Amino acid sequence: MRKLLGRALLGALSTIAVSTAGYAATYNLSVDYVTIDTGDMKTKAIGYNGSSPGPTLRLKEGEDAVINVTNNLDETTSIHWHGLILPYQMDGVPGISFTGIEPGETFTYRFPVKQSGTYWFHSHSGFQEPDGAYGSIVIEPEKREPFKFDREYVVVLKDKHPHSGARILRNLKMMPDYYNRNQRTLGDFISDVSENGLGETLSERGDWGSMRMMPTDIEDVQGFVGLINGKSPEQNWTGLFEPNERVRLRFINASAMTYFDVRIPGLEMTVVQADGNNVQPVKVDEFRISVAETYDVIVQPTAEKPYAIMAESMGRSGYAFGSLSPQEGLKAEMPARRMDAPLLTMADMGMDHGSMAGMDHSSMGSGNENGMAGMDHSNMAGMDHSQMGMSKDDPFYAAGSGLTPKAANGGKFLSYADLKAQKPLYPERPATREIELRLTGNMERYTWSINGVKYEDAEPIRLKYGERVRFKFVNETMMSHPMHLHGMWSILDTGNGKWDPVKHTININPGMTVYSETEVDEPGQWAFHCHLSYHMASGMFRKVVVEGGPAVAALENGVQ
Amino acid sequence: MPKYTTSVLRLAVASALAMGSLAGIQTSAFAGAGHSGGHNDGVEIGAPGDISDVRRTIRITMEDNFYDKEKIVVRGGETVRFLVENKGEFVHEFNIGTATMHADHQKEMMMMMEHGALEVDKINMDMMEMDMGNGETMKHNDPNSVLLEPGDSAEVIWTFPKDAELEFACNVPGHYESGMVGKVRLQ
Repeated sequence: MRKLLGRALLGALSTIAVSTAGYAATYNLSVDYVTIDTGDMKTKAIGYNGSSPGPTLRLKEGEDAVINVTNNLDETTSIHWHGLILPYQMDGVPGISFTGIEPGETFTYRFPVKQSGTYWFHSHSGFQEPDGAYGSIVIEPEKREPFKFDREYVVVLKDKHPHSGARILRNLKMMPDYYNRNQRTLGDFISDVSENGLGETLSERGDWGSMRMMPTDIEDVQGFVGLINGKSPEQNWTGLFEPNERVRLRFINASAMTYFDVRIPGLEMTVVQADGNNVQPVKVDEFRISVAETYDVIVQPTAEKPYAIMAESMGRSGYAFGSLSPQEGLKAEMPARRMDAPLLTMADMGMDHGSMAGMDHSSMGSGNENGMAGMDHSNMAGMDHSQMGMSKDDPFYAAGSGLTPKAANGGKFLSYADLKAQKPLYPERPATREIELRLTGNMERYTWSINGVKYEDAEPIRLKYGERVRFKFVNETMMSHPMHLHGMWSILDTGNGKWDPVKHTININPGMTVYSETEVDEPGQWAFHCHLSYHMASGMFRKVVVEGGPAVAALENGVQ
Repeated sequence: MPKYTTSVLRLAVASALAMGSLAGIQTSAFAGAGHSGGHNDGVEIGAPGDISDVRRTIRITMEDNFYDKEKIVVRGGETVRFLVENKGEFVHEFNIGTATMHADHQKEMMMMMEHGALEVDKINMDMMEMDMGNGETMKHNDPNSVLLEPGDSAEVIWTFPKDAELEFACNVPGHYESGMVGKVRLQ
């Protein structure tokens, strides 16, 4: 079977990758049961080559990667190369790309490496990824990069939970707020009443109730330890530097459920890459990294002292911490954690109370700053800030959203609107059609879906080879969703025209509509899903079938 | 409002000549120690040189976003002609100064970008000539630098001081930080 696949693919590859007559480079990965030790707890986990996280796979643009994956587990496994452009049979999604890797089996992935940058890999089977089956990928470019650095580190963030993924989903299904430790109390109710009046407080509570949501539903799985490269804050992952060196940090968020706000107090970070693609350099004090995204930044520490890498979770329920240090064993001082856990607002509910028929909320004192929440934001993304009443608010958050980030030092917080491609990958052209994807869910039953239909009940999304499709994501839930299309790039509409950045994961915040376009240039069938592990497992997932295309016939190899 | 008296932008020679108001600005820049502007922390950075003193030409190629040279080695007091070419697809600058001067200039460049006078791949000349409200325009023409659109080239003739800690750098937002800077070593 494997041989057959290999031969079929070699044939296929020669038709696809005409331009890259690369040499083959072989890599070996074993999938193993391992132990994760965070200092406070030891848990049984899944890893690669004997550890979690797995190794950094260093590939070279232009080569043909041959990766032998041996499954030492007693269950089926798989590896998905997140963000890599490759033949669909090599994409590693059981049931879509292939059947999976059986216990004891070695599966050989072969694909031409046609890109460069920072990516990652993870299991696409069950809850192996939250349970530790992840690693990083660094692809060395053929040409020199548009920036310069003296040394580099991969910085992989992970929300390590004491419970296994399967147990977490069981608990969420039973009680969706099982892991929400920050629920509103009677005391909050009384203080809301004294601030806003009883009628309004009751009415607002009623709205939250009918949404099956709570204002604290920002992180539905709390109680994790944030890890940097597998190390807990106490274990203090450390990257060494010499003062004045330019250090490239390749941030990867390999978390199951957690967005992180990342900063290095005392250093400005110059963002040079997002999701593996170079962006025009932009200087920030802090950035938010959605689950599955990557950001490469360059920092230049000048003082001979340790600097803290602080990654607080978006909901402030946890954090990861490490040090950049001029010498081994020198731990940075941990910055004070921000205890201002954000609360979702009516804006995040996508509701504008001011305009809701039959409801008199004219007495509403605070919360909704204006009537913009719930409006169609389709034209807002990437709008010139100067047209928004000089507001510096991030256009990728609903106006008045409780999630809108602010830099800890009051400085610059990265927005999607700041991301501009360094060198556009595709020429600009109008999309041939639009597909609306409403992100939907019912928090009470912990079901998540697209257009109200969960994966098991849904027809695949059918795309035509050669078209350019425009996806309209309408987030009707109160959680942020990082949507990941496999196999093809997503050109995020930031309103920057030809400079719109190319990504593999697009975050859509509550109450927002975001557009991305995809040049349908890869045949086969692909996964398209929310990358929050338990949302994906609960149905926020679609199969995408690309119909037509010159190479698709050659790729048919009976793997399905 | 930042002061624009230390202008460090000089446009490609051809386009600069096409503009009328150049002479006055250059005169002020020539005054004193060659760069009278003020942000140089009293560091002697050198002065515009005379073509007749040039013994050596150094070619500088600018790409996205780097120079073809990591450092430049010159003799103290030497007059060098730089032939600067922008082979990239973005606007780039070749600017001789101290790290502090560059840091100050980066703030000005950021402002120019926010005001639309500078785009990533073009310089908007008409915007550059707009009065900033303080009698200054953004159209600076200092002899220690050139700001070039993609495909353009220009020359800089510069007499270096005996001793100074100097860098050549591009202060277009983000470029310096991503490594578009090199040391000038004075021997």
